Amino acid sequence: MKLTKKTLVSGLAAGAAVLLLASCSGGASGDGGDGGGDTIKIGILATDTGNLAFGMDEAKAAVGVAMEKRGGTVDGGEVAGKQVEFVYAGTDGTTASAQTQVKKLVENDGVDLVMGPTSGDEGETVVQYAMTVPEVTFVNGAASPVGMTLEGAENFYRFMGDSVMWMAGVGDYAANEKGYEKIYLLAEDYSFPYDNAGGFFDEFCAAGGEINGASWVPVGNTDYATIISQIPADTDAIYVGLGGADAASFLSQAVAGGVDKPLVGGSIAIDITALSGDANIASAADGMISGGPVPGEGYENPEWAPFVEAYAAQPNAFPAPSIFAILNYTAIESLLLGLEAVDGDLSDEQAGLREALDTLEWESPIGPLKLDENRQAIVDNFMNEVEEAEDGSLVLKTISTASDVRQGTTVYDRFETCADIQ
Amino acid sequence: MNNQPYSGSILRPQRTGLAKWLPIALGAVVLILALAFPYIVDRPRFWLPNIGIRSLWLGVIAMSLVFLNRYVGLLSLAQVAIAGVSAYGVGFVVVQLELPFLVGALVGIVAGTLAAVIVGLVAARTKAIYFLMITLAIGQVFYSWASQSIEVTNARRGLAPINRPEFGPIDLANIQTFYYFALLLAIICYLLCRYVTSSTFGLTLQGIRDAPDRMRALGYNVFGYRIAAMAFAGFIASIGGILIALDRNQVDPNVVSLNSTLDVLVVAVIGGIGSLGGVFAGALVITMLSNFAQNFTERYMTLTGLVFILVLLFAPTGLAGVWQQVRRLVSRRRNAQAEQESLSGLTEQQPRANTQKGTSNEAD
Repeated sequence: MKLTKKTLVSGLAAGAAVLLLASCSGGASGDGGDGGGDTIKIGILATDTGNLAFGMDEAKAAVGVAMEKRGGTVDGGEVAGKQVEFVYAGTDGTTASAQTQVKKLVENDGVDLVMGPTSGDEGETVVQYAMTVPEVTFVNGAASPVGMTLEGAENFYRFMGDSVMWMAGVGDYAANEKGYEKIYLLAEDYSFPYDNAGGFFDEFCAAGGEINGASWVPVGNTDYATIISQIPADTDAIYVGLGGADAASFLSQAVAGGVDKPLVGGSIAIDITALSGDANIASAADGMISGGPVPGEGYENPEWAPFVEAYAAQPNAFPAPSIFAILNYTAIESLLLGLEAVDGDLSDEQAGLREALDTLEWESPIGPLKLDENRQAIVDNFMNEVEEAEDGSLVLKTISTASDVRQGTTVYDRFETCADIQ
Repeated sequence: MNNQPYSGSILRPQRTGLAKWLPIALGAVVLILALAFPYIVDRPRFWLPNIGIRSLWLGVIAMSLVFLNRYVGLLSLAQVAIAGVSAYGVGFVVVQLELPFLVGALVGIVAGTLAAVIVGLVAARTKAIYFLMITLAIGQVFYSWASQSIEVTNARRGLAPINRPEFGPIDLANIQTFYYFALLLAIICYLLCRYVTSSTFGLTLQGIRDAPDRMRALGYNVFGYRIAAMAFAGFIASIGGILIALDRNQVDPNVVSLNSTLDVLVVAVIGGIGSLGGVFAGALVITMLSNFAQNFTERYMTLTGLVFILVLLFAPTGLAGVWQQVRRLVSRRRNAQAEQESLSGLTEQQPRANTQKGTSNEAD
C-alpha cells in the first residue's frame, strides 16, 4: 500500500482512537475504596486550566514536600508500610469540570481518598458529591466557602480556615487601631468576596464602623474610574476585595484618579510581585492591611522555614509558596499523618482513619491545627501590612496573629450596609 | 443563488437497497447499545453519569441547535441559555419555593420555551452571522444576569440541591433508572424532531429556509414560522435543561457560560451539523475527551481542539456524514476502476482494430 498523507493521518487517528479506548478501559486497578489492598490511591483534584491554572503545580509541590519527607515522590511512595499512589485530575475551576473529574477519580480511577478542590466555586459541588460516596474520605485542597463544612458531610475534612476566618482580627484592628470610621466597600461579585468581606465588616461594624458605600464588580473588571468617582469624600479607607490583577488595575486607576485614602485588602488582594512592578502603585499599596492564612515577613514558627526551603526545591515553584501551596500542604500532610496513625488501615469504610483525623493535632508551618465538631480546622490567622522597603520594593509584614480562630455559621451574600449583615 | 442540491432538501431522491436499510440497521444497533449500556460497562457508577447521561443531555441541546440550523437555516447560539432558563426554572421552584419536582419541570419547560420565543422575537428578523451574534449576545446577557441575581439564581453559588425525585416504583435517584429516563426523553425528542420535520409545518420551514421571499410571496408569515420553530427548538432544549438540573443536582452560572455554549456547538459540528441523530455521536466524543484526554497529555484542551480540527478537515459533514463520505469514496474508486478497465479494454482493442484496418490507415 502506498503511504500517502491521508493514509498517514488516518492511521494516526485510528491509533489515537485505539489508545483512547485502551486507556478508558484500563482505569480502576486500585482498591476502589475497600481498603483491602496494600496500595492506597489518593486522588488530587486541582485547577490546571484558566486563571487558577497554577493550582495544579502548587498542589503537586505540596504533595512533593510531604512525600519527600517520607522518602517518596510526587507520584507516590511508602506511607505507614503501605504503597501510596497519587492520581492527578485537572479542572478549569468550574463546578462542571470539578463534578466530572471528582467522579472520574472515585468511580473510574478507584481512588480511596481525595484531596481537593482548589477554587471556591468547585468546593460546594465536591462536598455535595462527597455525600453520595460515604466510603471515600475527602480532604479539602484550598476551597474556602464557609458553607462547605456546614453541609453535614461526615467524610469531608478541611484543614484550613474559611474565607470569613481569614479576615479574623482585621476589622477590629481597622476600627480600633487605625481609627477608621467609614469604609467604602469595593469587591468582586461572587461568593468568595462575599464571605471574605463579610468576615471583615462583621467585626468592623460591631466595633462601631460604618459602610458608606458599596460597589460589587464582575471578576476581570478593568474600569474603576466610575467607581472611584462615587467614593464619598469623608471615607476613611477603601476595602479592596479584588483578586491580584484586578487589585493592581484598581490601584493604578486610583493613583491616576488622585485617590489618597488608606486601603484594606481582602485575602487575595495583595500580590507583592504584581504590586511592586509600578512605583506609583507600590506607593499606593504601602500601608495596606489585610488578613489571610499566608504569613508575611517576621513570622516566627520553626516549621515555616523548612517548609519554604522544601517548597523552593519543587519543580515550577514560585519564589515563595503561594496560598495554594500552603493550604494544599496542610491538607495532604494532615491526611498522611492520619494514615500513619492507623498504619494505613482503611478497613471498615475508613472509620479508623476518620477517627484519627477527627482527633489529629499537629504543628503546621502556619501554626497549630486541629478540627472542630464539623471537621473544620481551628487555625491561626495572620494580619499583614504592606511596607515599602528601602529599595522601593514592597514587603508583606505580619503585624499580628489571631490564634484559635474558629468557624462561625454565617454564610454571607452581597451586602451594602452594616445593617445587612448584623 | 446557490443551485447546489442541499442534503436536507424536500425533494430528496428515493433511497433504495443498502442505502435505505443501512441507516435503519445502524439506528437499531445504536439503540440496542444504548439500552444495553449499563450492562456492558464495567463501572456503571462512572460510565452512566460521566459519559452516558451527559452525552444524552448534551445531544438533546445540540439537537435543538441542529434542528434550527438544518430545517430553518438559523444557527442559534442561545440554545444553551434556553436550556439554562429551564434548568434554573426547576432549581428555583424546587430549591427556593420548595415545591415538587413535577411543578419545577413544568415551570422549567414553559420558561425555556417562552425564553426561546423572546429570543426569536429579538433575533428572527436577522439571518446568518447577525442571527448568530445576537443569539450569542443574548446567551451572555443571561449568563451575566444569572451570575449576579442573588434573589432568583443565588448568583455564583447557584441553586442546590436539586434532588432526583421518585415516582412510585421509578426512583430517579437510582443512576440506572435515571439513565433510562434520560434515554427515553432523548428518544422522544429525536422522534418529535423527525415528526415535525416531515410534517406540513416542517416542510414549510424548509421552504422558508430555501426561499424566504418566495414563501412570503405565497402568503406565508415567515417571521411567525421562524418564531414557532424557535419555540419548538426551545422546547427541546428545555428538556435538555431539565436533564442538566437532575444530572448535576444543582444549577449555577457555569451551565450557561460561554464554554458550555461552545461545547454544544462543538458537539453539533463533530456529530454533524445537519444530522439530528449524529449529535449523540458528537456528544459521546466530547464527553469521552473531557474524561480521558488527561490520561494522554496535560494539554488536554489542545487535544480536544485537535480532534475538532481533524473532524472539520476529514469529515466536514461530521461523524454522521462519514458513511456518505465512505460511499462516495467507494463509488468514486469503482467508477475510476471501471473507467480504467474500459480504457485498458479500448487500448487492447485498438491495436487489433489497427491491425484489422491494416494498410488502410497507412493509406490515410
